Amino acid sequence: MQYRKLKLEVAVHNFQYTRAKNAAGAIAELSKNPAAKLVAGGTNLIDLMKYGVMAPDRLVDINRLSYNAIQKESGVLSIGATVTNSVAAANEMVLQYQPLLSQAMLAGASPQLRNKATMGGNLLQRTRCPYFYDISEPCNKREPGTGCGALKGYNRMHAIFGASDACIAVNPSDMNVALVALDASVQVTGPKGKRNIPIAEFHRLPGKHPELDNTLDRREVITGLLIPDNAFSKHTTYLKVRDRASYAFALISVAVALEMEETTEGTTIKEVHLAMGGVAHKPWRLTAAEQLLKGKKATVENFKMAAELAMQGAKSYGHNDFKLKLAPNSIVQALKTASGIKA
Amino acid sequence: MGKKHLENADMAKAISRVDGRAKVTGAAKYAAEVQLQDLTYAVLVGSTIAQGIITKIDTQKAEWAPGVIAVISHLNTPGVPEYKLQNQDVIQKQLRVFDDANIYYNGQPVAVVIADTLERAQYGASLVSVTYKKEQHVSNLEDNLSRAVVPKKAKADPRGFTSDFVRGKAGAYLDAEVQVVEEYIQPSEVHHPMELHSIIASWEGNDKLTLVDKTQGSQQTQASIAKSFQLKPENVKVVATYVGGAFGSALRVWPHEIVAILAAKKVQKPVKLVLSRGQMSYMVGYRPYTLQKVSLGASKDGKLVGISHESYGKTSMYEEFTENVLQMTRMMYDVPNIDTKYRIVPLNVSTPAPMRGPGEATGSFALECAMDELSYKLNMDPIALRLVNYAGQDPDKLLPWSSNYLKDCYRLGAEKIGWNNRKAEAGTVQEGEWKVGYGVATGTFGAFRSAATIKATYKADGTLLLQSAIADIGPGTGTAMTSIAAENLGIDPSLITFQLGNSSFPKAPMQGGSNSVATVGSAVVAACTNLKVELAKRAAKQKQEWNNAVPANIQLKGNELVNSDDTASKVKLVSLFTEGGLTELVIEGSAAQGDERNKYSFYSYSVHFIEAHVHELTGVVRIKNAVSVVDCGTIVSPKTARSQLMGGIVGGIGMALMEEAVIDDRTGRTINASFGDYHVPVNADIPQMEMLFVNEKDPYLNPMGSKGLGEVVIIGVAPAVANAVYNATGKRIRHLPITPDKLI
Amino acid sequence: MVENKSLEEEDNQGSSRRDFLKKTSVMTAIALTPAAAIKASDLKLDEKLADALEQVPLSIDINGQHHDLKVEPRLTLLDLLREKLRLTGTKKGCDQGQCGACTVHIDGVRTNSCLTLAVMHDGARITTIEGLATGNQLHPMQEAFIKHDGFQCGYCTPGQIMSAVACINEGHAGSEKEIREFMSGNICRCGAYANIVNAIQEVKAGGSRA
Repeated sequence: MQYRKLKLEVAVHNFQYTRAKNAAGAIAELSKNPAAKLVAGGTNLIDLMKYGVMAPDRLVDINRLSYNAIQKESGVLSIGATVTNSVAAANEMVLQYQPLLSQAMLAGASPQLRNKATMGGNLLQRTRCPYFYDISEPCNKREPGTGCGALKGYNRMHAIFGASDACIAVNPSDMNVALVALDASVQVTGPKGKRNIPIAEFHRLPGKHPELDNTLDRREVITGLLIPDNAFSKHTTYLKVRDRASYAFALISVAVALEMEETTEGTTIKEVHLAMGGVAHKPWRLTAAEQLLKGKKATVENFKMAAELAMQGAKSYGHNDFKLKLAPNSIVQALKTASGIKA
Repeated sequence: MGKKHLENADMAKAISRVDGRAKVTGAAKYAAEVQLQDLTYAVLVGSTIAQGIITKIDTQKAEWAPGVIAVISHLNTPGVPEYKLQNQDVIQKQLRVFDDANIYYNGQPVAVVIADTLERAQYGASLVSVTYKKEQHVSNLEDNLSRAVVPKKAKADPRGFTSDFVRGKAGAYLDAEVQVVEEYIQPSEVHHPMELHSIIASWEGNDKLTLVDKTQGSQQTQASIAKSFQLKPENVKVVATYVGGAFGSALRVWPHEIVAILAAKKVQKPVKLVLSRGQMSYMVGYRPYTLQKVSLGASKDGKLVGISHESYGKTSMYEEFTENVLQMTRMMYDVPNIDTKYRIVPLNVSTPAPMRGPGEATGSFALECAMDELSYKLNMDPIALRLVNYAGQDPDKLLPWSSNYLKDCYRLGAEKIGWNNRKAEAGTVQEGEWKVGYGVATGTFGAFRSAATIKATYKADGTLLLQSAIADIGPGTGTAMTSIAAENLGIDPSLITFQLGNSSFPKAPMQGGSNSVATVGSAVVAACTNLKVELAKRAAKQKQEWNNAVPANIQLKGNELVNSDDTASKVKLVSLFTEGGLTELVIEGSAAQGDERNKYSFYSYSVHFIEAHVHELTGVVRIKNAVSVVDCGTIVSPKTARSQLMGGIVGGIGMALMEEAVIDDRTGRTINASFGDYHVPVNADIPQMEMLFVNEKDPYLNPMGSKGLGEVVIIGVAPAVANAVYNATGKRIRHLPITPDKLI
Repeated sequence: MVENKSLEEEDNQGSSRRDFLKKTSVMTAIALTPAAAIKASDLKLDEKLADALEQVPLSIDINGQHHDLKVEPRLTLLDLLREKLRLTGTKKGCDQGQCGACTVHIDGVRTNSCLTLAVMHDGARITTIEGLATGNQLHPMQEAFIKHDGFQCGYCTPGQIMSAVACINEGHAGSEKEIREFMSGNICRCGAYANIVNAIQEVKAGGSRA
């Protein structure tokens, strides 16, 4: 006999709601109630609550916390956690010092959603895997131990790097891809005080615990993002390949930041940061490709070699086989655009 | 002589939508927005298996939840009287709502929760738990072709487009010098109108029912519901004043409407039921997944020798859904030998529904792609190929066309898009990183009219009220009817009010199959004519000359009744009301199809031209330009007609590039049942386009000279896109949609 | 396939309405003793209790009109507008932030009202389509939508117009391409996009009343 929970969209049990006055208050709420969740923009959490994927007993509204500043101090740009994606993307300092971040954020969602979505919230954006969203389907991320519906299911949008048998979901955020390419870090505060988490260590690979998206302690509050200065501003590209021209999640996205140098040999790459979205449970940094390109001339041949190297270890699951080709093609294209070379 | 055809700029000057102000201010009330006292909210619970039996439904938690008034399932349904009757229609067999424990598709309604607020009903519904005995289900078409059947409908109509058919010799393409033999797949596509399907049901006693409903036919819903609940039709009132799109999804009564009526009966209060966007994916029909095999044979000069065309489409386990996939093949080109075969495959899915340009759009995708493939094999221009095979009369019915300006469509469109820029060899034009290609394809859809009546109330203050039960799902029916009446009478459109979308108004067909203007417009003309005759009769009492007035020459100019043959005889309009102390004249006009279909074959035509750019590395397709030319007779409302054509192109671009409802065959569940996962075009996908109308009168269908528009505008767009993509890349995509993964 | 027997068994353990009630958020919302809760249930005060305890105060300005309300926290801003205040001009097209039909301005910023809770906007100033015109004088964007036929069925139209007004105010209507991108959060299934772009360009140029 089969028993399966019903799928029902737009059903929200009546949780309690409270507004935190400060970080300490929010931490206290989280510490007191294991089923409490913070809400800022709410564009992902409230959606997930409607689907019954998440069901916090208590929502702690942190919109009135004073983490809404964008500042530049001693070579680091800091962006408060409750700054919205729209505000950050249009900010003069972000555009001047970290244009890649602005480009990536503007490639995500829609203007209305970006007006609500916050920097802190976007870091925590959960996967769009349809088996995660449909509570009648098995999903180890939603209900550990139930299995992975996507592994042998419709997995066109799914991971080609770093997946496990437990989960092949991808991180859907565009912002996160840029942050990884920019070596950002996440400022948090919690019961044990403040700490900074390098972005590369913030998001997790699924392993045996896909229910954990990141390394944040559930009592911690994200207060902001730090992005160190770089010399990339002239040569950045965020390429997002998707099924329609806008308002869709990435099949593949590539964040490229280049520092170019004119040498006697021609235009060479002095420094390069590369990250990919739509390919893994976390934004995927292409370290080997970066190593290969550093100091090399900006040519399509070199870009192709780098892309090939970047694809080592990739594994597809059927419907997403195309990503094994689309991903390297997209890396080459993004490098061409960022470097400005034509052929 | 100036040009007769209409281009973009010509249409901007025409009258704007008569309901525009209501729509831009939020004043227009759609089905879920009508306010009633004591309104309660119903939320549907759907099955999570595709085939089997409900063994247990636990509703206790839901019943105990705050605000929940009732939970209904097959265990305690008030029942639908029609289900107990014998001799039901075996072809159009609706899903019998809450009738027994059987499950036929994943998502089938199994229970409904009614509560005092929406939130409480939604939460209550999440507390219902259902236990099933699961049985083996089937949902994949290709894996189940052995289950294909000839539809029962075919036996009743051996000449119909679903019957096995041979003209000349079957398989004649095999004898031809040049052949194309290919398979094409149109995946399931969902209508997804922006307005969620909604209904408010309220009973008055046991025998009177009022429905505020999203429907394309107020009187057809009235008749269907009256039959289901064994009520007198006049005791069922259906209101659909504003309908937020439908595209075919509201052409019939669906289970959720029956549920709302049952719920209202149970709780003895008005019940509002609104589907979720997810439920919209499988509860109100969809364009069925269809596999087609097309074989073309031609001589070296391009003359078609034979076409063989087979179609296999999905249907549900309980109902046969058919559509005219093979119609275009039978009549479009002058071919001596044709054989067609239409099959449906019953699967554990809900019943499909006609979706804009229904089967014709699916059929056109296969036929017009195959024609394009043939043009490359022949090394012949695709337009030239079509002109060589142009049919001077209907080769299927052997009747003359009522009107056919297809050749003008090809010529006008080719000029506008710059067809000369197209290179005959595929994959040879590059602009930067983008490959550039041009494609063309043809669409056709039967032109129809049925019967309608208009009630006209002409008041002494010069205003005219026209009423019809017809729905307006978006094309601007009220605007078109106002234009027809204004032109016929010679009065300012602002004096006319056209009321629609109510079963109490005079007879009208459903808004579907592109027949609203032809049918209701004819009744408007009849009513206006009757009004003019009545006014002339009254005028004759003042001036005898009016006894000889011909209605076509009578106009209501300013405040006078004028006969253009005899301008001296004009009389003050207001003076015609004095007799009998009347303040208004109430006049009806009716019109119906005559015997014209015995003499002529009626079709509208569209030719679509697409310039597509395909990114060399990412496979992304961008539509850079679209030009569509339509022969649909005289254009009665240019501004709204242009928008309708524009909408057809956009719908066709969605069909070509992104729309595909995916079922996980392991569960039979729709995997992308949301607007996030099921993509329709957004603003950034759509360029500025050129919409043209030949605007030549059809002399035989109706007094306006119009033919149908709403369907033909989408038919042929998808193959035009596919053909342009091939011209750009040399890659032939025969399985829609053409997403980037298929082009890298 | 998921086997989940435990839930089924739990359903049959002779639970009663008051046992169930104890588990609901009504009871956890307050420091009510179980005994008091059971008594309330037995007196059939639970519905009233639920009403009283599950609602929180909300003070909000909508189209210039002040409202002091009590609402459940789970109530979205969209459902507050449509179901409680009968402001049905704001449309529900998906309820999941995927279509833009529910777009309103919150303190001047365009937002999907379906993905935000009403209680999160205590003290806020909301503008809906009903608040855009000045008396009988339509907003230029409303006029331009009529003139350019920026809709057919009209259901996405209020969201399109609220979004279009914001698109210009944000400075995102600089070119046709920019408008198309920044209007892509509003789906129009009738396909009036090109007309919508023309309407916005005309208002941007200041010529809609001509």
